[in-house]
Amino acid sequence: MAEDFRSRFRVLTDGSDTPLGADHHIFIGPQHPWAEEPAHFIIHLKGERVVEANIRIGFNLRGMEKAMEARTWRQNTMLIPRACGICSAVHQNVYVRLVERLAGIEDQVSERAKLIRMFSCEAERVHSHMLWYGILAHDAGFDTLFHVTWRDREIIMDIVEDISGNRVNPALMLIGGVKRDLPKEKADKARPMINDLIKQVEYHKKVFTEETSIVNRLENVGVLTKEDAKKVTPNGPTARGSGLPYDIRKTFPYELYDDIDWNVVYYTEGDVLATTLVRLDETLESLRMLNQILDRLETASGELLQRVKPRISEGKYMTRAEAPRGEDIHYGIANGTDKPERYKIRAPSLGNIDATLKRMDGEYIADMPVILRSYDPCFSCTNRVMIINQSTGEKKIMGQDEFARRAIKAKKYNRPFF
Amino acid sequence: MSDALNELENILNITIPKDLVEGVVKVEKGHFDVISPSEKAYDLMKILHDDAGIYHLSTISAYEKDDSFNVCYHIQHRIEEEVKEIPINFIVTKIDKDNPKTPSMIDFFVAADYYERECYDFYGIYFNDHPFMERLILPEKWPDDVRPMKKEYSWEQIREITLNLAKQISEDD
Amino acid sequence: MSKKKLLVMGREVIKNQAKGPVTLHISERLEKHPPPEDIRTIPRIIEEKCIMCGTCVKVCPTHCLWMEKDDKDNGMIWLLRPQCMWCGHCQTYCPKDAIHIDREPSLSVSLFSFNVRQDYEMICAKGSFKGEKAEKKLAEVIEEGAKTIKEIEEFRS
Repeated sequence: MAEDFRSRFRVLTDGSDTPLGADHHIFIGPQHPWAEEPAHFIIHLKGERVVEANIRIGFNLRGMEKAMEARTWRQNTMLIPRACGICSAVHQNVYVRLVERLAGIEDQVSERAKLIRMFSCEAERVHSHMLWYGILAHDAGFDTLFHVTWRDREIIMDIVEDISGNRVNPALMLIGGVKRDLPKEKADKARPMINDLIKQVEYHKKVFTEETSIVNRLENVGVLTKEDAKKVTPNGPTARGSGLPYDIRKTFPYELYDDIDWNVVYYTEGDVLATTLVRLDETLESLRMLNQILDRLETASGELLQRVKPRISEGKYMTRAEAPRGEDIHYGIANGTDKPERYKIRAPSLGNIDATLKRMDGEYIADMPVILRSYDPCFSCTNRVMIINQSTGEKKIMGQDEFARRAIKAKKYNRPFF
Repeated sequence: MSDALNELENILNITIPKDLVEGVVKVEKGHFDVISPSEKAYDLMKILHDDAGIYHLSTISAYEKDDSFNVCYHIQHRIEEEVKEIPINFIVTKIDKDNPKTPSMIDFFVAADYYERECYDFYGIYFNDHPFMERLILPEKWPDDVRPMKKEYSWEQIREITLNLAKQISEDD
Repeated sequence: MSKKKLLVMGREVIKNQAKGPVTLHISERLEKHPPPEDIRTIPRIIEEKCIMCGTCVKVCPTHCLWMEKDDKDNGMIWLLRPQCMWCGHCQTYCPKDAIHIDREPSLSVSLFSFNVRQDYEMICAKGSFKGEKAEKKLAEVIEEGAKTIKEIEEFRS
């Protein structure tokens, strides 16, 4: 099987290791106007067609897994949402469910707390998907749609800000429950906004399906068939665009997802348009779920926060959740102290890289931005394990001033940060 | 063990030879741990992949256990008609710490490539028969013998190594 | 171009002229769009309730709270403001509900201010630590911070 997907096993182009027939090599990244985040794509071309594509990652390592071993379970609750810039709530959700299971209190979490967690996760899915298809429109050269979607995205951002106090990182969840309540006044304020947004997203869907300038740009581009998808194991919307109907909220339900009414969205075409439509339909599903959750919150009751001891008894457990980008999987091992023995995070983007490289085979170079965008790349998710924790300015590892000094030096002398 | 093994065999619709398995643990409903020593892991994975039809590998996590390494393959058995997934943690045990070698599962899962290289980066576990066992995530000039996720390296040491590396690179430029 | 099309376009132009710009100036937007009531910023401690147990210092993920104490009535806690990420753990785990999160939006500024006097803050000082001792400590901490800032500035020039 390894022979079928040889593209990844190449060093780099010093000329000796180029694929057969390739006459041009295009390098995208680590710094590139296309990408907001660092990754290095190497695309081997024959004329205008891609022969093979390759990727190098590791430019954005922060050493989270090592950092977590040096912190307590309680402190890590606030470090874990920093694993990803935009899907922070779902990482926190996976983490708190894992720790609750290890502490043996997963049954005691109240219905109300679970509903608020679900609200946070679904609101995040909505704003993440809207961000993504906005940027996709931008990559496809349809900037009007980009502006329209991002304008409408402010509605859901306002809701999130209203209930949590933060726009992107709600940080509502804690081990044993949630931090703050979602009172009735806020629910009443959010409901008309959600209904407005449903209308707007339906309009976006209409544009994406009927406007020929964007449909032509996405249709039959980067097709990933179901057979190929089974081999390269994509997850999340990338897989559901290729006819693999697996959504962890359905296949292995957590929180109260088996209790409320929603459908798994999947398309079988496998092109970029299909993944786009999966995300658009999922946004609508999520918005309808938000309405249901708000309805249920009126009657749901229970303690918001259960008391959990700081020491977690020995054990290991694996939890998964459906992040906006796909399958988010954590594996934690506790050793009886208040610090984790080992904590492994696998965010969805890393699992989708293979599928994206597969998509590129035989496509035009002009379609690269759209195909590369198709799996919603998020490189802070992809490389999260190494030495320096820049995100929190943690003193033990590298002080703020050192960090600043290094950054200034790097800027002044035009040198790499390391 | 045998109850959990029987249940797993019923779900997967196969028979697992007893001598390949060190133990099967039922974590919760529809969630299993399968434990196998590293010499026999390849054969067991072959049965799971070829006979049971498991094709999805979520991730691989390596960790230290006493004086050996363990590598955990998080695989999903998917039942398409019911839209259901059975997560299985396939734990490969008894990997010698002084000479960490274990069979690569890249023959069954393409996705194993990145994850195995990640383990190689952070723990130095060498996966036999992997066609391209090279550095994936760590910087190019990172010292080869330092495997940062091992418990023997503390925060301070890693920090020192990183700073030295930074200094060295800035001097080289 | 036909006359009809020109007329339609002209009508749109006049309509948009009358409506004014869709985009808002930032000050205008802030007026129409105030920060939420529940915005999170830095922690505040009610001194009477605080028992100097040190829970907030222990649970703080970024180590932005520091503490020095003799016993439960004599002690002080200071805060390194740019390091605080407003997670509110100190509030959640405080056994006496002595901490609350300030909701003043102007405080929600993080990262380097390059003004050390603003960066450090004595948020709680009790008993014998109140007054002189707290001020002395704060001055010390600020001096330390100033040194590093100075180093950076030297490095810059």
